[in-house]
Amino acid sequence: MAASISGYTFSSVCYHSANSNSDHEGFLLGEVRQEETISISDTQISSAELLQVVEVHNHEPCAQLFSFYNYAGLVNEENLNKILKERRKNVIGWYRFRRNTQQQMSFREQIIHKQLTQLLGVPDLVFLLFSFISTANNSTHALEYVLFRPSRSRYNQRVTLSIPNLGNTSQQEYKVSSVPNTSLNYAKVIKEHGAEFFDKDGVMKDIRTIFQVYSALQDKVQAVCGEVEQSERVKEKVQQEVNKLKQQIALRKQKNAEEERRILEAQNPEPLPTPEENTEPPETSLLSLVAFNTPSTPERPGPSANPPAYADLLSLQDNSLLPSSSSPTSAALLPRPQAVGSPGHPSPNPMGLGLGLSVGSSPAPSPSTPYLGNGDGSSSDSLDRQAAGQEDEDEDEDEDSSEYENLVSEVAQLPPVTINVLAQGRPASLSPDGDASARGSQT
Amino acid sequence: MSPEVALNRISPELRPLLCSVVRNGRVGLDSTNCLRITDLKTGCTSLTPGPCCDRFKLHIPYAGETLKWDIIFNAQDPELPPDFIFGEDAEFLPEPSELPHLVQWDAEDPECLLQLVKELIQQYHQYQCHRLRESSRLLFEYDSLLEDPDYGRSLEIYAGHKNSWTGEFSARFLLKLPVDFSNIPVYLLKDTALDPGEDVALLFVSFEDAEATQVFPKLYLSPSIEHALGGSSALHIPAFPSGGCLIDYVPQVCQLLTNKVQYVIQGYHKRREYIAAFLSHFGMGVVEYDAEGFTKLTLLLMWKDFCVLVHVDLPLYFPRDQPTLTFQSVYHFTSSGQLYSQVQKSYPYSPRWDGNEMAKRAQPQPKIPNNRQ
Repeated sequence: MAASISGYTFSSVCYHSANSNSDHEGFLLGEVRQEETISISDTQISSAELLQVVEVHNHEPCAQLFSFYNYAGLVNEENLNKILKERRKNVIGWYRFRRNTQQQMSFREQIIHKQLTQLLGVPDLVFLLFSFISTANNSTHALEYVLFRPSRSRYNQRVTLSIPNLGNTSQQEYKVSSVPNTSLNYAKVIKEHGAEFFDKDGVMKDIRTIFQVYSALQDKVQAVCGEVEQSERVKEKVQQEVNKLKQQIALRKQKNAEEERRILEAQNPEPLPTPEENTEPPETSLLSLVAFNTPSTPERPGPSANPPAYADLLSLQDNSLLPSSSSPTSAALLPRPQAVGSPGHPSPNPMGLGLGLSVGSSPAPSPSTPYLGNGDGSSSDSLDRQAAGQEDEDEDEDEDSSEYENLVSEVAQLPPVTINVLAQGRPASLSPDGDASARGSQT
Repeated sequence: MSPEVALNRISPELRPLLCSVVRNGRVGLDSTNCLRITDLKTGCTSLTPGPCCDRFKLHIPYAGETLKWDIIFNAQDPELPPDFIFGEDAEFLPEPSELPHLVQWDAEDPECLLQLVKELIQQYHQYQCHRLRESSRLLFEYDSLLEDPDYGRSLEIYAGHKNSWTGEFSARFLLKLPVDFSNIPVYLLKDTALDPGEDVALLFVSFEDAEATQVFPKLYLSPSIEHALGGSSALHIPAFPSGGCLIDYVPQVCQLLTNKVQYVIQGYHKRREYIAAFLSHFGMGVVEYDAEGFTKLTLLLMWKDFCVLVHVDLPLYFPRDQPTLTFQSVYHFTSSGQLYSQVQKSYPYSPRWDGNEMAKRAQPQPKIPNNRQ
């Protein structure tokens, strides 16, 4: 059982009590409600907890002692009704104030309590005992209060009484009391002036306005999403055309190269030097790389707070000489979401890139982003590979070892020029010098 | 806190009620212990000028324990009856209809509070007897005593759990023994002006467990009786027989006590007789004698032209114990400045002789050593 008393009721009771020159008693008015808490945890499906909450809203002091009972402690129902009048049904307990006595129910209090429980028909009637203790030299006075529930067993009688908002409210929320406001004046004023704030449904007008703004914004966002989708599709088409043309270029080059070789062979029937053979694989690998490589920087904004603008990245893409500008969608700029905050990992770009993903109305771009890390989020390998530049690894080797199709090492196999371009675009610098502006924006 | 101090601090309107409690308050069997008041507090604001104390703790001796009850008045409404907090006996709830002095509380009657306390004690006794039902053995003890009219009427019981953790049940019985002390010669009793109380003998039996295997009896006598019987060392009661019960043991103790008292009474008479006999034999030589208690007698005897003082000291348990004769010289001093004296115990004596016989046979004769003359 939990009990609470509103701060003003408590102070009112204390005021009445402290100002009386003898013992003081009265009734507590309020309500009792049952609270059921159902909690679901991993260990059990659900457990319901029933809590009886007693709330004291008001009090009715008695003008004098023995006002509703006689010397033998027999309660007089007539006098009781005179004191309580129509509030009798709201009675949830009674209180007594006595100075310099023990915090224990006295003989007469117990007798009266039993009778009140029966007369008022409240089985769990509570008894609030105030005792005021003063030290011998009157330097310190303590007001102690204990809430009893005498209907329970002897060892379970005391209930903690809490006073909401009496405490350190900077650490807790300020609680609004559920005490019903019965003040007539308050009701009148609210009725008169309420129309300025509330509309006919009783909802505050401001809320509606804000909601309208929110709806308008949502519509606009939806519209923009549509536009983005359109432009993406256009871009996709264009990209495909570009790829096709590149293929044609490559084919033509190949044909030319073969023809030249035939001519040379016809002129010079000597075995070709090995370096030529070795140059071929890179060429073929370049071709095969077409489909996979991405032109632009593996997006690694890193600790920088300002990722590159969408437009910057697009221009970078155009400027690149790589055949690997074949990212199917701009999602190439979108790194695969990894452990956010881990260094060197492509963290999602909140700005323009994010729009592409979060709106959701456009089909999600295929995640062919350059995944630069291991699956577990460590970034050392990817960093090393980037910084090392070219690697001599075979394409096959990489494909065997890596778990993902985005080939980190193949990026490294690109000619040094491209790597520099890459490095330029990367906002988070891996080189010691770094981009000053990017660094500055980090702080 | 002395009663007078307590009374001074009490609010004036409540003073008469407390006067009777503090000065004359005797509740229960152990009437040698007065009711005591401590922890006087006030129910008025601290600005109220004193004296205004209206609530206090009352210490009530009961069955070997002391009950500490809080009594709460209101100084501003002195005509209202008090409220009580029964200390640790939180379950004791007397029926108000059994307390006539509460139902018809009369603040004008100074005895009202004392009577109310007595009624509460009676209810408390009922409550304790009810608690005895937890142990059938002890209940049997109680019931058997109750049936006997000698003991049943003056019985106080305290039953309960000795220790709330171990839950050991224990009980204390306090009985007033029906022994007649009225015949004890007045002189034997302690100065009655100081202790005008009733002469009682209380038997306190403590049962430390519910099966009555650990039983410790104690006898309490009022101070005058104790003195009359020869001090606390004189009376030893037998130990409680294991497996015995109170209804057999208590009469035993009673008998023992009665015998002792009889013996003391008889002793007195015997001494009287003895002194009378000596007086008649040595009438002219009597210097002085104790005419109240008959414990001393001094004679001046002549023996072969030699005068000697003879002091006869009669012990308390005469005639069982032999009187001592002290011969004192009237002529000589010892080196320490005292009159030379010699004690003699070995003279013909038998406790079975009557006074005359003893006087005849005693024939006090000093043995004078040769080197002193």
